[in-house]
Amino acid sequence: MADDILLTAQGISRAYGPHPALCGIELTLRRGEVLGLLGLNGAGKSTALQIFAGVMPPDAGRVAICGHDVIEDPRAAKRQLGFLPEVPPLHPDASVDEYLTFCARLHGLASAAVADGVREAKRRCRLEDVGGRLIRNLSKGYRQRLGIAQAILHKPALLILDEPTSGLDPVQLAEVRTLVRELGRDHSVIFSTHILSEVRAVCDRVAILHRGRIVCDQPLASVDPVLRIRLRRAPGRAIIAALEGVLDCEDLGAGTFALRVADADATAERIAAAARDWGLVALEHDENALERTFLALTCRDDTPDATADAA
Amino acid sequence: MIGTIARREAQALFRAPLAWVVLAATQIIVSWQFLALLDIFMEEQPRLRALANPPGITQAVCLPTFGVTAMVMVLLAPVLTMHALSGERRSGALKLYLSAPVSATEIVLGKFFGLLALGAIVWLLNALMAATLAWGTALDYGTLGAALLGLALLVMATLAVGLLFSSLTSQPALAATGTFGFLLLIWMVDWQSGQGKTAGLLAWLSMPDHFQRLSQGLLDTADIEYFLLLTLGMLLLAIWRLDGDRRAF
Repeated sequence: MADDILLTAQGISRAYGPHPALCGIELTLRRGEVLGLLGLNGAGKSTALQIFAGVMPPDAGRVAICGHDVIEDPRAAKRQLGFLPEVPPLHPDASVDEYLTFCARLHGLASAAVADGVREAKRRCRLEDVGGRLIRNLSKGYRQRLGIAQAILHKPALLILDEPTSGLDPVQLAEVRTLVRELGRDHSVIFSTHILSEVRAVCDRVAILHRGRIVCDQPLASVDPVLRIRLRRAPGRAIIAALEGVLDCEDLGAGTFALRVADADATAERIAAAARDWGLVALEHDENALERTFLALTCRDDTPDATADAA
Repeated sequence: MIGTIARREAQALFRAPLAWVVLAATQIIVSWQFLALLDIFMEEQPRLRALANPPGITQAVCLPTFGVTAMVMVLLAPVLTMHALSGERRSGALKLYLSAPVSATEIVLGKFFGLLALGAIVWLLNALMAATLAWGTALDYGTLGAALLGLALLVMATLAVGLLFSSLTSQPALAATGTFGFLLLIWMVDWQSGQGKTAGLLAWLSMPDHFQRLSQGLLDTADIEYFLLLTLGMLLLAIWRLDGDRRAF
């Protein structure tokens, strides 16, 4: 079971001068998980990811990748790691092929495996057509994908991607999301974003970072399923709440209810059957559940905290 | 791994116009001096012949030319080295190395050997210039060898100093200024006392004293040690600095 844990971060703290960026972050990631790290701008996402990747030392705490401490045993730890920083670490003067070949060697791929690794990474990131182009002439979307190619080409167990979709147009956005979802099959992925729909599209777990603390860390499935129903002859909140599979029922008024449920599809079917006499006019998945959780956690203006910061 | 990084560094250097401009400027300045010295030597030859122990062409032309190259290296090494780590830190490309399974030692040595490729060209052009004289006259190969060794050591040391300052900051201009300030300081640290008069630390620190002895053909291990220590010390500090990016002290 211990083999399944790819990343452990314990008590990570980091301050920039007097400003604390992270305070005691705890996180574990298992094999095959795709974790979305959500947070407002300035929440500490990039700092956290850089510390996880071992490119920035924490003030306190330790990080281990596949059981290897990133500071004490960096070589073993980083062999298992692919990292895309916020700004892709590219060489503008090199061509795509040259750059990827260099990265493959840097990550210790055997000479015989370099060409195959580069070809495979280019295929997955759809870079086949630009192999000979100079990186300085590539558009933002290509550069971002090249940054991802660089991170995956040595087939690391753990991928850390810092805002992989920033600055992409909608088509590229969809492509990169598909790619991340594909990668989630063979790699464990942590990626940061402040776009909620992205997390919903690709993650199976979500962690929300706010003011340097993880304020929520749970499987996405346990955040998401909220059903919204509208009834013409509502029977009263308690009766709906007692239905099998309904965890919680909130009366939104005018016959509308928001139900937190365990299994969205099964419960929806059950409600549709039960609500025949209640005049069911609408039954839908509430796509905003994650938004609601996120806003509730991050927009709470913790005044005591704010005054403490000011002091 | 060091070879991979060195190749990449040399490639990056030679793809930018900067390296070519530096090489061209160095070559124009140095060959101009070389020709001027040669000209003076030809003119003065009748008078030199009258001396009891006349300087040969190696002493009169080659060695002062190497002295000019040494001075030019002090001026241009900062420009050559400023991008090596500083530029990469600024562009974020340094994170590629820091997140890869390579040690700080491999990164610094790789960068250093990449820079040496350019230094080697400067050195080689000097050696070739001296070698052209062998066409028309006899050269003092012993002296020439010692002087070329001195020049090679000096080029190595100036590049190592540049690499250290490049590792310290994310602003290439600041790295260049720091390198230039340091090199100029150890170039003139012993000027006020007159050469060789002071003993002790100041005299030992002075780079031209060590270089001059070597370039006069005096192979003293103390001078060779000075350049090797300087190079090694600078590289060790750069490694230490880079390691600090990943590990808090």
